[in-house]
Amino acid sequence: MLGMPLRRRLRLFVATVTAALLALLATGTASAIQPRGITDEAHLMNDLFWIVTIAGLVVFGLVGAALVYAMIRYRRQNDELPPQFHGGGKIEAAMVGVPVLIVIGLFTISMIILVQIDDKAQDEALTIDVTGFQFSWQFAYNLNDLGTNTDPNAEGTIAVIGTPANDPILYMPVDEPVEFLLKSNDVIHSFYVKDFLYKLDLIPGRVNSFTVTARETGDFSAQCAELCGTNHALMRFTVRVVERDEFDAWVAAEAARQLGDGALVSTSGTQGD
Amino acid sequence: MATVAVPQLSGYHRPAVLDWIMTVDHKRLGILYLYFTLFFFAVGGILALLVRTQLAVADNSFVGNDAYNQIFTMHASAMLFLFIIPVWAGFGNYLVPLQIGAADMAFPRINALSFWMLPPAGILMFAGFIVDGGAADGGWTAYSPLAQQTGVGMDMWIIAVIVLGMSSTIGAANFLVTMFRMRAPGMTMFRMPIFCWTMLVTALLQLLATPVLAAALVMLFIDRNYGGQFFDPNGGGNVVLWQNVFWFYSHPAVYIMILPGMGIVSEILPVFSRKPLFGYKAFVFATIGIGGLGFSVWAHHMFTTGSVLLPFFGFMTFMIGVPTGVKIFNWLGTLWGGSISFPTPMLFAIGFVSMFLIGGINGTYSAAVPVDFALHDTYFVVAHIHYVLFGGSVFAVFGGLYYWFPKIWGRQLNERLGKLHFVLMFVGFNVAFFPMHMLGLDGMPRRIAVYADSAGWEALNMLSTGGAFLIAVSMIPFLIAVVMAFMRPKDQPDDPWEANTLEWATTSPPPDYNFDSLPPVRSERPLFDARHGDEAH
Repeated sequence: MLGMPLRRRLRLFVATVTAALLALLATGTASAIQPRGITDEAHLMNDLFWIVTIAGLVVFGLVGAALVYAMIRYRRQNDELPPQFHGGGKIEAAMVGVPVLIVIGLFTISMIILVQIDDKAQDEALTIDVTGFQFSWQFAYNLNDLGTNTDPNAEGTIAVIGTPANDPILYMPVDEPVEFLLKSNDVIHSFYVKDFLYKLDLIPGRVNSFTVTARETGDFSAQCAELCGTNHALMRFTVRVVERDEFDAWVAAEAARQLGDGALVSTSGTQGD
Repeated sequence: MATVAVPQLSGYHRPAVLDWIMTVDHKRLGILYLYFTLFFFAVGGILALLVRTQLAVADNSFVGNDAYNQIFTMHASAMLFLFIIPVWAGFGNYLVPLQIGAADMAFPRINALSFWMLPPAGILMFAGFIVDGGAADGGWTAYSPLAQQTGVGMDMWIIAVIVLGMSSTIGAANFLVTMFRMRAPGMTMFRMPIFCWTMLVTALLQLLATPVLAAALVMLFIDRNYGGQFFDPNGGGNVVLWQNVFWFYSHPAVYIMILPGMGIVSEILPVFSRKPLFGYKAFVFATIGIGGLGFSVWAHHMFTTGSVLLPFFGFMTFMIGVPTGVKIFNWLGTLWGGSISFPTPMLFAIGFVSMFLIGGINGTYSAAVPVDFALHDTYFVVAHIHYVLFGGSVFAVFGGLYYWFPKIWGRQLNERLGKLHFVLMFVGFNVAFFPMHMLGLDGMPRRIAVYADSAGWEALNMLSTGGAFLIAVSMIPFLIAVVMAFMRPKDQPDDPWEANTLEWATTSPPPDYNFDSLPPVRSERPLFDARHGDEAH
C-alpha cells in the first residue's frame, strides 16, 4: 500500500472502511439477537455459529472491499481499451484452492461439534415423551423413568396436554441430561426450542430422539417449526426449566391429580396441590 | 369470356393475434414467455404483499390462517414454477439461437408446445382459489402427510406442476439439441457465449431431475385419490420418502433457477468492463460442477428429520461453495483492470454479484449441520432463499431485460428511470429481507400466519413489510420506462452497447430468419474481434 499514489490509497481506504463497517453492523445485530442457548449442546452450536459467522464476515469483507475498490478504481475514464486479460493458471488455481480450504475447514469443525452434541443419553436419563398433534402438544412422563430421582417401582404416566388456545408447559429439571422422544400420529411437526438452538421433526411412523442438559432455569418459549395445517402458528408451548426439587414437587402434584393419591410409591417431593 | 381463378398470394393476412398464437418463431415464443412470466411475477408479488401485510404486526387478523397458508403456498408456486423457471426459458428461447448464430430452435413446433402448456397450467393452479377448500395450502414443498389432508385445490396444483414439468423437460431437450447441433461455423463449444453454457447445464438438470418430480407428484396423486400408501406409514409407506424424492428434484431446481441468471450477469459484466470474462473455462467447469454437485445435496433440506446421513450431505453441501466461490472470482476478475461504465444493466449485474455473495455466505450456515438444527425452517432460511432467488435471479432478470430490451423491442429503456428502479429495488430488497436473518436467529419459524406480541418480532417484521412495499414501488419507474419506450419508434442500432456476442450482429429487432450474414467466429467474442481486429489480442 505504501508505494501507491495518494488517490489510490484513499480509494482502498474507503473500500476497506465501508466493508468493515458493514461487517461490524452485521456482527452487532447478530450478537444482539442470536440467543446464546441454555443447554450444553446449544453452547457448542453457538460456538460453531460464531466460527461460521466470522469466516463469512471475513469473506464478505474481502470480496466486498475488492468489489467496491474495483468499481471506483477501474471506472471508465476514457475510450482506451483496457488490457484484454483472459485469466491464468495460477490465479485460477487459487480461485479453486481458497474456497476448498475454507470449505474443508468449516466442514471439519462442524463434524467435530456434531459428534459432541449427538452423544446418546445414558439409560438413567429422564425421558419425556413428546407427541405433536394438530394443533398442540402432549408431554408425557413415565413415573419409573424420571432421571436422578426415580423410583423404579413407581407405575403410571402423567401427561400435559395443550390446546391451540392454551399452550402447554413442558417441565424439565436443570443440570441433568433429559432425553426427548418425539412422535406424531397425524402429520409432520417439528419440536423447536429457540433457546436449545435445536429442532427435530416429529414424523408419523418413526420415533426421533435427542438429549440435552439445560444449565439455566426459567421459562423459554417454543413452537412447532414444520408447517402442519391451519393453526400451525398456534402450536406453541413453554419450556419451564426448574431445580430438581421443584420438578419432583410438580411431578408429585400432577401424579396425585391425574392418578389419584398413592400413585407415587415414594418421592422426595410433597404430594397434593 | 371465360374467367380463370388465379390463386391469390397476398390477399389474406392473418390477424396479429392469430399470428402470435400460431407462431413457431423462437423470438416470438421467447417474447410470449417473457410476457407470461412477468405477469406471474406480478401475481406472485401481490401475494407476497398480502403475506407481508399479514405479518406486519403481531396477532394480525388481516387474513385468516387458512387463507394465509394458501397465499404463501401460491406465492412460492407462482414465483418458482410460473415465473423464475420459465423466464429463463423465455430468455433462452429468444437468445440461444441468436447467440449461436442459428435461424431458430431445433424443433420449432415442440418449442411452441412447450410454451402453450404454461397458460393452462397457470390457470389450473390458480383456479384452486375458486373451488371448495381453496387453493393448495401445504407449502410449495407439499410435504406428505399434510398434502393428503387438503382439498381438491391440491390435486389441481399437482396436475399443474406435472404439466409445467413436462413443458420444461421437452423445452430442455430442445435447447440441448439446438446447442449441440445448430451452432454457426467456427463456434466450438468453448466459443459459445456463457449464457448458452448456463442454459445448457440448466437444460441437463431439467432433463434429469424434472421427471423425478413428476414421479413423486404422481405418487402423491395416487395416495390422495386412489388409496395409495406410498407415503403412509400405516400402509407400509414412508413419510420421509416424499422429502427425498421431492428434494432430489427441487435442489437441482434451485440451480435451474439461478444458473441462467449467472449466465446473464456473465454477459453483462464483460461488455461494460470492456474486457473478456475472466476465466471463461473455469466458469464453464464451475457451472458443470454446480450442476453435478447439485444432485448430491438434496438431503440438506432434511437435516432435522433425523433420517439423513448428516456427514455426507453436510460435506457435499459445503463443496457447492467451491464452484460458487470460483464464479465470484470470475466476476471480480472481470471487473478488475477494466474500464467500467454503469448503465442500468450493469447496475443490476453488480447488484446480483453483491447480493448473491450474501446469499452464498448465509447458505454456509445451513451446511454447518449443528447450526442448521437451529436455523432450519426459520426466517433465516427465508432470507437465504430470497438473497439467492431475488437478490440473485430477479436482479439478473431485470439486468437481462434492460440489456436486451433494445435487441428484442428495438427501443431503449430510459436510463434515469432504470437507475431509479435499481436504487429503489436494491434498497427495498435489503430492507425487506435482511431483517429476516435476525428474525430467524431470534426463533421466528417460517410459514406461521401469526405471532404473539410477546415474541418481540414486530419491529423487524414491520421493517421487512416496508421493504416489500418499496420493492413494489420500484416497479413503477420500470413500467413507466416500458410505456415510454413503446411510445417511441424503433430506433436502436444493431449493437448499441458495443457487445460481444452474435445476437448483436443483426438488426434490432432481428428479422424472422435472424441473420443476413454472420461474422467469422474465432473466439467467444466474435463482435469484439470484428470491432477491434487484432489490436487487442
